[in-house]
Amino acid sequence: MLRIQVLLIALLAALALYLFRLRTTPRDRLLYVLMVGVGVPLVLFPDASNVVAHAVGIGRGADLVFYLFIIFSLFHFATSASRIRQLERQLTQLVQDRALAVPDLPGTQGASRA
Amino acid sequence: MPDASTVWIVIPALNEARTIGDVVAPLVARGWRVVVVDDGSRDATAVAARAAGGVVLRHALNLGQGASLRTGFAFVQRQRDAEIVVTYDADGQHQPDSVAALLDVLGRSGGDVALGSRFLDGSAGAHVPAARRALLRLATVFTRVTTGLHVTDAHNGLRAFTVPAVARLRLTHNRMAHASEMLSEIARLGLRYAEAPVTIRYTDYSMAKGQRPLDAIVILWDIFTAGLR
Repeated sequence: MLRIQVLLIALLAALALYLFRLRTTPRDRLLYVLMVGVGVPLVLFPDASNVVAHAVGIGRGADLVFYLFIIFSLFHFATSASRIRQLERQLTQLVQDRALAVPDLPGTQGASRA
Repeated sequence: MPDASTVWIVIPALNEARTIGDVVAPLVARGWRVVVVDDGSRDATAVAARAAGGVVLRHALNLGQGASLRTGFAFVQRQRDAEIVVTYDADGQHQPDSVAALLDVLGRSGGDVALGSRFLDGSAGAHVPAARRALLRLATVFTRVTTGLHVTDAHNGLRAFTVPAVARLRLTHNRMAHASEMLSEIARLGLRYAEAPVTIRYTDYSMAKGQRPLDAIVILWDIFTAGLR
């Protein structure tokens, strides 16, 4: 086994372990199992990606992996952006509700700054 | 004109402790009600505003001017005797006489909204700095094309709404794009609007606090990405 293969497999395993402890939803866990399940064989048998690439009309396996990486990244970017928007809306609602719940009326000391 | 105590002036403020007292006091002196939305200031804005006679609503975090106005609107809608909501800036560039002009136009037109304009006859449009004037003209053309409203000044912070009208607005932009959003809501709802001549006092302080030309790009970005969820 090449040294780079040992390194890549170790990194994949570490990532999977970390994410598995961090993420508890079944959907996410399935995704990471899939990622490692595809990643480790590809590291061990790099030529395997060539076979798949040729089958779909791409010259090199590395290109196929790269294309998939781009698509996955874009998908991840889009879902993260929508999640941030959702969090922003929730945060706004929370801050506004709190402001309305305790108005400072003129001539008073006002509520202490929380 | 409606009774002064049924008029609520909403002032979003961020770190305006230096000026907010001088902005609030003359409005309160005329009998209008003032609510200052302290948008997460790190200075004594809230204390100064309250001392000057305003109600203060405090955002624990900075959300932006659009969100601050919405908080103010929500508060005013809960006041049983409120009839009119006015939006007003905290940096001292607006004048109490302009509020009177808005109320006058709103009352006489019998409409839902009065919008302040720097470029009507009777307003001191000549005092608008040249660079700002050019940018505003561009924004006005953009607004006319996108909303179909025949306004002469697209980005004026002075507006007066009847409370039933403000209750119908669906506003979502937290930051600066709310100004365009309010106009497109007025167009969507078919609210009856009229413009009132107002004078803006450009001081070094308000110019420093105010928007820069680059903000126009940020606002456009906000508008175009607003539909995404």
